[in-house]
Amino acid sequence: MPANNDQPRARNVPPRNSVREARRGNRSRAFLWILGFIALIGVGAIGYVASKPKSSSVATVDIADTSNAGPSQGYLIGKVDAPVKIVEFADFECPSCGGWATVTEPDVRSRIIEPGLANLTYYDYPLEQHRNTLAASNAAACADEQGKFWPMHDRIFQAQTEWNGEATDAPKPFFKRYAGEIGLDVAKWETCFDARKYQKRIAANLADGMRRGVNSTPTFIIGDRKYPGMRSYDELKALVDSAARASGAPIAGGAAAPAKK
Amino acid sequence: MTKRMIVAALALAGIFVSLYLTLYKLGIIGELSCSIGSCETVNTSKWSRFLGLPVAAWGLLFYIDVFAISLIGTFPRFEDERVISIVLVAEAAVGVLFSAWLTYLELAVIQAICIWCVTSAVIVTLILVVSAADMREFARRGDLAAQ
Repeated sequence: MPANNDQPRARNVPPRNSVREARRGNRSRAFLWILGFIALIGVGAIGYVASKPKSSSVATVDIADTSNAGPSQGYLIGKVDAPVKIVEFADFECPSCGGWATVTEPDVRSRIIEPGLANLTYYDYPLEQHRNTLAASNAAACADEQGKFWPMHDRIFQAQTEWNGEATDAPKPFFKRYAGEIGLDVAKWETCFDARKYQKRIAANLADGMRRGVNSTPTFIIGDRKYPGMRSYDELKALVDSAARASGAPIAGGAAAPAKK
Repeated sequence: MTKRMIVAALALAGIFVSLYLTLYKLGIIGELSCSIGSCETVNTSKWSRFLGLPVAAWGLLFYIDVFAISLIGTFPRFEDERVISIVLVAEAAVGVLFSAWLTYLELAVIQAICIWCVTSAVIVTLILVVSAADMREFARRGDLAAQ
């Protein structure tokens, strides 16, 4: 009875290979299905997140109740009576604000603000996680005292990586150097900076942003709509154009942005 | 599913988690913005870079590597290659140590938790557990062969 003797052996010894062979097909098919499933979920989730900001982050805000209401005071560039008013909430230490200020904003100034299509008002929105941003806001406010907010704004953003919280614990010497470079009365600037003279204004600007539902920087408010996140020149131009169309003519100047000192 | 298939599946999930964090760090995904929140705090902290690359990008390279090795390890030709299991365990061990260091930084230094970073730490720990089990299987098989 060789068959009887062989049977158990055939089940015990070769199974290692033959069962493996038999299962291999099923197993790798299941494996591929699972990989495909994970890939589908992954690609879907990332695709969803990637497309999200543009579609859902545009919220309507009411700017009437906050303009000129509190002691918040932004910094205006452009014609006071420009037909469209762009409000920017930004943090001097935020990398994307820096990217916007140095890459996009020059175009926005020369092609939108200087021709008088819109003006822009900058408000401080110092974020907690940035250690030196409050000092930067103070440095800029003290430059504003001497009528040079915007040169200081540009200088601070250009050199963001040398004074930010990742680079140093003591940003003041950098700001002092910029103050000299842009032609401020440095002694006067330093007195102002050391006294944190405009700390309250900065806090008020932040509070203003919070009231308007700003929770990331940069956030732009154009017309009555809020646009969180960086915008390219083209995107911003389109938003300005549509705000201009919506308002028709430069009427109803009620929501005037705070003027430059 | 062999253990290597499980490792490959975990690594693929890890690829997507770290890809998300890398794109986020590069500003391609989400709003290119700084906002309030723990992931922002963690991902913009000075520990979010390692040897000049974002930590998330290191994670991405790591998972791609583990995925490739474990996938190759499932091919019939390489199924019995013990060295693949050893490499997987060694890499996963490095990954776990690195994740442990990052999690320590999150908890003790930055004092903020980034949920996706924690997810990645869990995935890499599972990879280590499963690939260690895979290696032990070889040891057991080796014993059998010796008998």
